[in-house]
Amino acid sequence: MSALWRDARAGLRRHRGRVLLSAAGIALGAAMLSTATVVGFGLNTGFARSARAADLPDVIARFEEEPIGLVRRRISALPDLAAYSFRLELTNAPLYTGGHSSKQGVVELMGGGRRGYALLAGHDLSSRFGDVVVEQGVARAWGLHLGSSIGLGRLSGLRVTGIAQSPDDVAYPLAAPRVYLSRAALEARFGAEGERRVNVAEIWLRNRSLLNEVLVQARASSFGIRGLRLVTRDGVKVLLDQAAGIVIALLVALSVIALLTAAVMLAASARAEVQRRLVGIGVRRAVGASRAHIALAQTVEAALVAVPAGAVGVAAGTLAASGPSDRLLQTINELPPGGALVLPLLACWLLTAAIPVLASAWPALRASRRQPIELMRGAELRAPGRRRLPHRAAARLQALLPRLPMLGARLVAARRVRLVATVTVLGVSVAFILLMLALASELGTLENDPSALGKRYQLTASLPASATRRVRRLKDVAAASPRYEVQAADAFSLGETIDVIAYPGDHTVFEAPPLVTGSRLRGPGQVEVGDGLAQVLGLSIGSTLAIEMPSGREARYRVAGIVDSLQHDGRVVYVSASSLLAVEPTASEQIAVRLTAGTEPSTVSAELTAIGAAPAAAGAAIGKGHGLIEALTGILRAVAIVDGLVCLYALIQALVITARERRATIAVLRASGASAGAVRLLLTGAALAVLAPAAVLGGLLERIVLGPAMARLAVDYATLELSAGRGELALVLAGLCLLGAIAVLWVARDATRRPIVGELAG
Amino acid sequence: MLEACGLVKSVGRGRAHRRVLHGVDLAVAPGELVAVLGRSGSGKSTLLHLLGGLDRPEEGTISVAGESLVGVTERALTRIRLRHIGFVFQSFQLVEELSGRENVLLPTRLAGAPPGGTARAQSLISGLGVEQVGEHLPHELSGGEQQRFAIARALVNEPDLVLADEPTGNLDASAAADLLGLLRAITEQGRAVVMVTHEHDVAAAADRVLEMADGRLA
Repeated sequence: MSALWRDARAGLRRHRGRVLLSAAGIALGAAMLSTATVVGFGLNTGFARSARAADLPDVIARFEEEPIGLVRRRISALPDLAAYSFRLELTNAPLYTGGHSSKQGVVELMGGGRRGYALLAGHDLSSRFGDVVVEQGVARAWGLHLGSSIGLGRLSGLRVTGIAQSPDDVAYPLAAPRVYLSRAALEARFGAEGERRVNVAEIWLRNRSLLNEVLVQARASSFGIRGLRLVTRDGVKVLLDQAAGIVIALLVALSVIALLTAAVMLAASARAEVQRRLVGIGVRRAVGASRAHIALAQTVEAALVAVPAGAVGVAAGTLAASGPSDRLLQTINELPPGGALVLPLLACWLLTAAIPVLASAWPALRASRRQPIELMRGAELRAPGRRRLPHRAAARLQALLPRLPMLGARLVAARRVRLVATVTVLGVSVAFILLMLALASELGTLENDPSALGKRYQLTASLPASATRRVRRLKDVAAASPRYEVQAADAFSLGETIDVIAYPGDHTVFEAPPLVTGSRLRGPGQVEVGDGLAQVLGLSIGSTLAIEMPSGREARYRVAGIVDSLQHDGRVVYVSASSLLAVEPTASEQIAVRLTAGTEPSTVSAELTAIGAAPAAAGAAIGKGHGLIEALTGILRAVAIVDGLVCLYALIQALVITARERRATIAVLRASGASAGAVRLLLTGAALAVLAPAAVLGGLLERIVLGPAMARLAVDYATLELSAGRGELALVLAGLCLLGAIAVLWVARDATRRPIVGELAG
Repeated sequence: MLEACGLVKSVGRGRAHRRVLHGVDLAVAPGELVAVLGRSGSGKSTLLHLLGGLDRPEEGTISVAGESLVGVTERALTRIRLRHIGFVFQSFQLVEELSGRENVLLPTRLAGAPPGGTARAQSLISGLGVEQVGEHLPHELSGGEQQRFAIARALVNEPDLVLADEPTGNLDASAAADLLGLLRAITEQGRAVVMVTHEHDVAAAADRVLEMADGRLA
């Protein structure tokens, strides 16, 4: 064992530069993998973890305010109940602190029993008046901490005693600010008026597999309870899983690339190193070293590099990804994984250490099979491909490149399998960087551009429908129409809330979300359904959609078409105004205003204000989701940087291996009078031979495979054009040139600093 | 053409430190073929490397065609090698992806190389009798053919000084005799040739034979 240890340490000491480069590659692969693991594991397990911590109920029933006695009677009749509790949820409540306020606050007046939220800090509500628990998103955004003051309408100076998290909804600012107060404390202070009224019931079951039966019975026995909507724990999870799926798929693919890159490069490097040591291996075999000894010495040497480098990479990746990942989880009200990450990260570490160890041991084992005398003559592991380039191809290449770069390209091309592997890993990396840039660009569009939602109007005016003609007459207004919108509920299934939108005429003039299948609605009995809703409810063309309106009346429509929509996660339907107003005459109305091309919305806004309307800009898809976008962009940026570093590593490693194998050629050139600039030219050709096909491959891969695949993954949310544009392509090409320049300068500096005499000796 | 005076060179550090050259003096005139004869480890290759500007002496001076190789920048040294010095290596050191002809052309493509390289290369290849195999890759050539291309490469930029390190080491007797004839022909063009060898028969072909032992020339 001591001989193995001695051999391994001697090997490392002799080639510190190469050892550092290998270590950097392993660390990068490990960083990429651990980044993906931190984010992917957090998202994949976040809901279950948070639901468990929050003791999230199996069913949340929302309804109009009803006497608690009536609701209790209905619920207590349900089968398999473990527990239930009630709240009164007040919306549009004015909440304020020293520097922040919102008129859309949600106040949960909590009764006794289980809460359905997890306390992240402080303690729960007591019967003492003045205590308030705030949702963590509000606390973070408004800078609240335990002991801070918060006001609720006329109740000022409420004291924050706890900070809570509940995964039944996303966090502020994605959702309205939410606070929890003890109903008992309020009633003790201000007195109670008659029987308590509630509008939310939380239900826990003994056996969750009986959920469907409980839901059926709940609907059947809900008479007397108006506007009942049932949301299940699984329903919430489906939504979050869909969104997380895209991010996880992206990260898993990227970590596979990083691992592949590291494995290919390290295997190539190990092969070249073993090739260089063939004589030494032959001598050892000749003096009696066993094959196992040869392979083990290489294994120990590789492990001495891979184990610490893998640990450093895993630590770096974890540190880099933890912040953005935790912020992303916070925005969707989920808990970070904490200690649960230890095992997955340990697995990452073992994997990233094992790959280079195996990649090093295998060529040594192969070499040790050869006859010692053959090894001592320095025979190649396998005869190199010395086939000449076809004359015509050589002539064409010669015409394209100056001579020295051409020689560099030919030196790289001489190892064809390695060239193909390097080009493949670089090409795939380039494709993913392009995809991420395209995705970032699309996210920006979704955040800022209402047309991404299919909205063709730019402004809304809070005016009655009768004022439409007056608005149409305003300068720079191309079209105006009343627009009705109500929030209704699915009458049959899981109590999904649905945005119902209606126009008197052709809604596509004002809103034209892309049609996925079917046709546009043509009459009062038809509906266009958002794809998110269609998926959840299993709707297809010709299905019947039953909607329960806020008034409690039910409307039934035949599905004419399914559209891509980002609004409310695709839980949106378009119907005709007449059919909506027939069942919901008090539907909220405003006037949608479409401007003539090139008109600044501010100009028309001023005109609308002048006629007494309160104009508002049409919202983009995720206008409120700035925090979410920021977190996603942070993750994409971190991954893109690591991916770029992987590219750089692959390129440097490819050039280093070429320079190492061809050190005699470079030395002959230098002996013949080649300057450092000439060596750089040679290596530039080598880099171009790798980068040019990789750029083409990456562009094609993104356009033909990855972009469409990612768009298909995201089809539940939006129609995404994920083909990289000219700007993105130019950016990536510039990046590749920069990486190439760095790699060439790095390797040329090392190659020209070595003594010519030593390099000539090989 | 070549003047070296008081060359001292050591290798290794600490306990491994060893002086290889102990104040070597050497002068070679244009058109002269000088052989440095010595046993393995005597320091003859180290001397050749110093004379060619591939390594730097600790003490002493070297000048080739009137240009000093000592105390100049790496860039200047590179330029001197390009313009004034040609190397012939024992193991030929041909680039395996390039044909014999392309190997000869290689030094002519370096920045600063004298113009007309392609014509000179063609003339050398013809003159050395390897035109028929000019497009062959090195592994398709015999040892003698490879060495001829290596010599053509050393000469293609018309150097004043040709340095040959064991040029017959990998050749059979017949090819070795041919090669010595070629080196002689080079001197007839007014170039100086210094070759190092451990073979007395090879050294005997030179105008002057200097024996090297323990880092000293005799």
